[in-house]
This record gives sequence, structure tokens and C-alpha cells, in this order.
Amino acid sequence: MIEIFVNDQSLHVNEGVLLIEALIQNRIDIPYFCYHEALGMDGNCRMCMVGIEGQKRPQIACDTIVKAGMRVHTTGERIEDVRRRILELELVNHPVDCPICDQAGECKLQDFYMDYGLYDSAVSKGEKVHGAKHVDLGANVMLDQERCVLCARCTRFTCNITKTHELGIIGRGDHARISTMPGRKLSNPYAMNVVDLCPVGALTSKDFRFAQRVWFLSSTPSVCHSCAKGCNIFIDHNAPKYQKERIYRFRPRRNDAVNGHFICDAGRLSYKSLNDHRLTCNNPDAMDRAKALIQAAHNIALLVDANLYCEQLDALVAFAQRIGAQLYCPNQCYYDEGFGDEWLRRPWRAANLAHINTLGITQSTPSEAHDLIISFNHPDLSSLTCKHKIAFSTHEGVEADVVLALRSWAEEAGTLINITA
Amino acid sequence: MFTFTPQNLQKIEALKSRYPSPNALALPLLWMVQEQEGTISLEAMEAAAPFCDLPPIELYRIATFYTMFKLAPTGRHHIQLCKTLSCALCGKAEILAHLQERLGIGVGEMTPDGRFSLEQVECLGSCGTAPVMQINDVNFENLTPKKIDEILKALS
Ligand code: SF4
Ligand code: SF4
Ligand code: FES
Ligand code: FES
Repeated sequence: MIEIFVNDQSLHVNEGVLLIEALIQNRIDIPYFCYHEALGMDGNCRMCMVGIEGQKRPQIACDTIVKAGMRVHTTGERIEDVRRRILELELVNHPVDCPICDQAGECKLQDFYMDYGLYDSAVSKGEKVHGAKHVDLGANVMLDQERCVLCARCTRFTCNITKTHELGIIGRGDHARISTMPGRKLSNPYAMNVVDLCPVGALTSKDFRFAQRVWFLSSTPSVCHSCAKGCNIFIDHNAPKYQKERIYRFRPRRNDAVNGHFICDAGRLSYKSLNDHRLTCNNPDAMDRAKALIQAAHNIALLVDANLYCEQLDALVAFAQRIGAQLYCPNQCYYDEGFGDEWLRRPWRAANLAHINTLGITQSTPSEAHDLIISFNHPDLSSLTCKHKIAFSTHEGVEADVVLALRSWAEEAGTLINITA
Repeated sequence: MFTFTPQNLQKIEALKSRYPSPNALALPLLWMVQEQEGTISLEAMEAAAPFCDLPPIELYRIATFYTMFKLAPTGRHHIQLCKTLSCALCGKAEILAHLQERLGIGVGEMTPDGRFSLEQVECLGSCGTAPVMQINDVNFENLTPKKIDEILKALS
């Protein structure tokens, strides 16, 4: 640990870290576009200028290693003037179309302009260099070249993280812009992360754009259920006027032990199934009929979904004992070999198989001897034959003697055990 | 399908030893493609990429960054008129207007028969004999409208 001084306040920071990291970790306001914790520094946007005592000119904090005793200033007239000028350059060709931009409300350019900009533009709107406004890059990513600040976060993602090399900055000067090779598309299973990485409205999600203003959304921390990895996410949801509560998007939630800053596209888009075809109410006599079936049965199988939370599974183990049922979680329907990869995606497409293992629940198909199957949202119930079936289900379309509504994982709180290896 | 000529392949081999990293071959490779084909096609960039150990998008970036690389076809006689200070002061505007009138095309265009294309470029390094233009690899100096007529005639 070494001591540095920021705006005359003493900070103890790790040796060898970048000044910008020290500032971010200590929650000191510092504007930046191109630096990103997962992508590292690039030094191209110049927004992160700070004053360092003993240095003649302002320096970029993202390319400065902290030194013991360093005295840094992030405020003051000079620094603010520098920031204003850099912003003015960023905005020379920017269309300033925030009212129709999906990023509005979570845009760094907007934030920094309100914090440090507020100048009268020297450029008239008519003289701006225009770029393509609706480029479908592929993989649900839309590009508006005019809004880009050329921070190269998206290109560094495809170059250094996915190593798929679809994106690049082409041309030069005022005409520099993001592009794929002509005729080529952005296509990799993690492509939509560039939308989160983009600090401005240049890259937006085709799936989310124009669906909601971001300030109407509430974010709930959660965990993706689309595979055994258990990537941490935010569920962004809202109940618009006269409509039911809906989920509008999943976003990655940083967890360095699991998914870092990113999630896969399949997981990101899996929110859709939580909105549609939901089973939300029961027939008035459903409970009585279920009870009668259970009382009449001699040999019950209790089928549990591997996406249920630990608490739910533990309760179901107790329930099975109580009614003398045998527990099953046939697992073949969760296995999708092609889905697994070297990074986040796991071939087991359920969130809590680890707890199913711990509980020692049989993972094969129930024997034919059972005369009643009670399923708790198991996806494969329809392929099983049995005299009677009771289905607790989150979704419509399940065939059973009695169907009862179940809350989805997004509507419950609980614990999951993921597979990180 | 694009392939380098055997001579160019030999040249690439010879150049390799000159640089510490194959990445440095990017510019010479693009030049070779352009000299060989006249323009730089996407296929050519893909074919050249493994030689310099770069993904094709990097070659595409380089090819679009430098204006001297041509991704679209140019005329058989590609006219590059200098637009920088000395030439501008010595009558470039008049030369440009004359060229455009004679060829019937604007800057960045090509005659329908594919014989001429016109472009403005930065200093050609011959300021003492401004105004200057270059047709393919040959410089033409101290230009006047009359001289332009003669040059174009000689090329017809
Ligand atoms: S598109 Fe977005 S992430 Fe990519 S360079 Fe432009 S501003 Fe940066
Ligand atoms: S890798 Fe698995 S857990 Fe992570 S986002 Fe994708 S599907 Fe969800
Ligand atoms: S964040 Fe430092 S230059 Fe962009
Ligand atoms: S300015 Fe035209 S050759 Fe130098």
C-alpha cells in the first residue's frame, strides 16, 4: 500500500495500480470513455485528464501508475476547462439526438456534458459530418455511426476478449467509424455485450431499443438460469400503465468469481420466456382435485425441476417424505453439448443441478410403476406416461389431470449452487 | 479467388526477414495487392491476412485509413491533382475546373469508359514546380490549362 493525495485527501492504494483504478475504487468522480475494468486502458478518449503536481500539463489518469506521495487534482478550473474542450471535440460531429436515442438516461456523453460541458457549441448543426444511422451489425446489435465517440471498447472486446475480430475502426479523421468487413456480420455468442460496453448510444440492442425509457425500469439483482454457470445479472423490469409487470432486459452484473462483467447472448435473451404464456391462476377446485389424487395414489413420483432454488428443493424433499413419494429429476433434457464453450457457457442448461446432486435425487426417468406423477415445473413431464399427473407449472400448455400455477424464478428469492469449473 | 503471383510470393519471403514481426508486412502486402490487381478486394485482404498474422479486419482498417489504397476501381489513367498550399496558391483551382470540364467528371469519379479518374491529393513533394499532378506514377509540373490539353491528348 502506498499513500497518494487526491484533492488534498489522503488515499491508501495498492502499488502498481493505474491512477484511474485508484480513483474509481475510491469513488472519486472521474469521467472516462475508453478505459474499462475488463478491457484495460487504451488512452484514446482523453476524458480522464487530471492535474498532477510537478507535471506541467494535465495527464490521463488511465495511463498513469500511482506513485507514493503523488498529489493529484481532479477538480479545479484548469482541469474542468480541459474536459470541456475535449467534450466539445467529441461532440463536433455528434448528432445530439438524445430525444430519440435509446441510451438517453444511461449515456456517459450526456452525463459528462451535464457535469463538465455546458458550453455553447461553436459548430452549427448543418456542418456536421454524417455517418450511417441504422447499421444492423448482426447479433441484435444496431450501430449509429454518428453517435460513436471512437473509444474502441467494442473493437477491443471483439479483438481481445472474444477474439472473433468482427469490428474495427475504419477510415480516418472525421470519417473514422466503426464497421465490420463489408458483407460480414457481428456474430459470436457474446456479441451483445458490446451494447453494455458502449458508453454512448452508438451501439444499441435491437431487442431492447424503443421498448422502454431506462429511467422507468427497476433493476433487481439476480442470477441467470439458462445454464449451470449462474452468471450474475440485473433483471430490468417495469409495469407500464394499464399493463402487467414485464421484464424488459437482462444485463450482466459484475461478479469476478463467476462471469466478470459479461453474460452470453442466449442468457441475456432468456428473459423473454418469463414474460409470455405464463400460468397465473388456478381453477377453483384444483387444490381439492390434487388432494384427492394424492390420497388415492399408491405409488407417487415427485418430479422436480433443476432450476428450483435450494430452499424449494429442500422443502420438496420434506414433502416427498410426508406423502411417501419418490423424488426424480430426469436430467437428459437439460443437456445440450453444443451450448458449452471455453468461456461462460456450460452444456448443462439448468441453474441448480449441483443441489440436485447434493440431495442425491435420482436423475433418471421414473419407473413405470408409479400411478401418479407430481411435477414441479419439470420441463420433460409431457414425455412421460402415467395414469395421473399433477403439474405445478410456471407456464401454460402443460397436460395433466390438475395444473397449478407456480411463480417463476424471477418472482422468488432463493439460493442456487452453480458450476463454476 | 485472389492469389499472389509467384514473384510477389518471393518478395514476401524476402521482406519477412527485414521486420521483427510479421505484422509489419501489412503495408507492403497491401501495396503488392494493389500493384498486382489495381484495387484491393476483400478476398485479397483475406488472402493477405495470414502472411502478416493479422485478422482481415485489421487489413481492412489499414486499407481504409490510407487514402492511397484503392478499394474501388480507378481509371486506367488515375489523375491525382495536388491541393496543398503551394499548388493552391499557384492556380490549382483553375486546373481542377479545367480537368473537370475536359473529362466531364467530378473529383472522386471515373469516366464511363474507364479511362480516367480524378482525385485531389496532399502535397506531391514538388512544390517548386506547382501546380502539380500525378498520372499513375508520373508527375506533371507547372500545369496550365493548355498543358493539360496536351497531356490528355497524348494519353488518348
Ligand atoms: S461504437 Fe460505442 S463502444 Fe464502439 S467505439 Fe463507438 S462509442 Fe466506443
Ligand atoms: S453463460 Fe449460462 S449462466 Fe451465463 S448468461 Fe449464458 S446461459 Fe446464463
Ligand atoms: S479513459 Fe483515459 S484516455 Fe480514455
Ligand atoms: S503543394 Fe503541391 S506539390 Fe507541394
